[in-house]
Amino acid sequence: MSNDPGGEGPDSLRSVFDRGAEGASEALSRWLGRPVRLLISAVDRSDLSLAGDLIGPADDLVAACSMGLSGRLDGMLLLVFEDRSGLAIADFLLARPIGSTSEWGELERSAAMETANIVGCAYLNALADAIPDGEKDGLVPTPPEFRHEFAGSLLEFALMDQAAEQDEILLVRTEFVAGPELPSLRWTLLFVPGPSTATTLGALRAGSP
Amino acid sequence: MPKASDREIPTDPGTGLISVAIGRWAVASAPAQLRTLLGSCVGVAFHDREGRLGALTHVVLPTSRGIEVDHPGKYADTAIPAVLAELERRGGPRVRSRLTAKLAGGARMFQVAADTSGALDIGRRNQEAIEAILAELRIPVLARDFGGNAGRRLTLDTVSGIVAIKVPGGAEYSL
Repeated sequence: MSNDPGGEGPDSLRSVFDRGAEGASEALSRWLGRPVRLLISAVDRSDLSLAGDLIGPADDLVAACSMGLSGRLDGMLLLVFEDRSGLAIADFLLARPIGSTSEWGELERSAAMETANIVGCAYLNALADAIPDGEKDGLVPTPPEFRHEFAGSLLEFALMDQAAEQDEILLVRTEFVAGPELPSLRWTLLFVPGPSTATTLGALRAGSP
Repeated sequence: MPKASDREIPTDPGTGLISVAIGRWAVASAPAQLRTLLGSCVGVAFHDREGRLGALTHVVLPTSRGIEVDHPGKYADTAIPAVLAELERRGGPRVRSRLTAKLAGGARMFQVAADTSGALDIGRRNQEAIEAILAELRIPVLARDFGGNAGRRLTLDTVSGIVAIKVPGGAEYSL
């Protein structure tokens, strides 16, 4: 796997993802009412066979909320919580002592999906600033879906479209961590670009969005 | 010590557990366990009880469309011949007549993504392609576990041929 924070193109491409990451980070901070720090904003290129371990051991259980994207920035957004962090954020949002919840019930899932909706929309809005106004039609994400899943299965499914076309996969990874008041909270936002996004990003690289 | 057929596949020396990555395959002698994580892809577990051999492929797509590929494990039409060749290399020409297969995978994990990406049909098309190839090769399929909306952890025991399936939040069951 290569971690390619700068991407292959000019700074404009990297700055697109950085804007998305910052937008998502700010939205998380507002949503939680606590500072959320951006840990990593990176573009990962990897052989397909290594994809299952990109967010940790493939057979670890994770909670994830997915949002489908269409239009010029198509693909999928996934907000992934390691189990303990995900349940902790639900506890926090539901005003319970952190660590008191051990299972993903309806309320906890709802809290996770609402968080994903806020973070995902902020990320997408920030990315959308990079493309011309007249071409933003259809940049509406689908409502989030919640899954409690093996990390490897989750990534395999999310990357299926890319796998159909090539042996190398590309995803954009942003990791957040909450401030010292919420030390155990950590999330990963994955943007899995679709074919239209690749075209859009290619145009950005060439300097003609 | 179990041996995997693919140098890139790590074997846990303590447990004899061999992890099979997306689009890859492995062959191992008993005692060993072969494991993979499946979403909409399909796992094909082969077993030769007499020869004490097992194999597992993690098939991503039904066909290579005749294109030369770097990783044959990715496609049903290249993965199965590659596995059979390695099994015969290890166990001799009679292996094929003793082989049985068990199949699992093909989940539809995200409704929205599936509707927009075409991933909806991948599991079904993989299953159809694999079953057709195995039928042509006269390799009996002893068990199938397809569909649903959850991923699967598939573990093949090369001694018994038992395939253990675990889904998130559920008890492990055997094929």
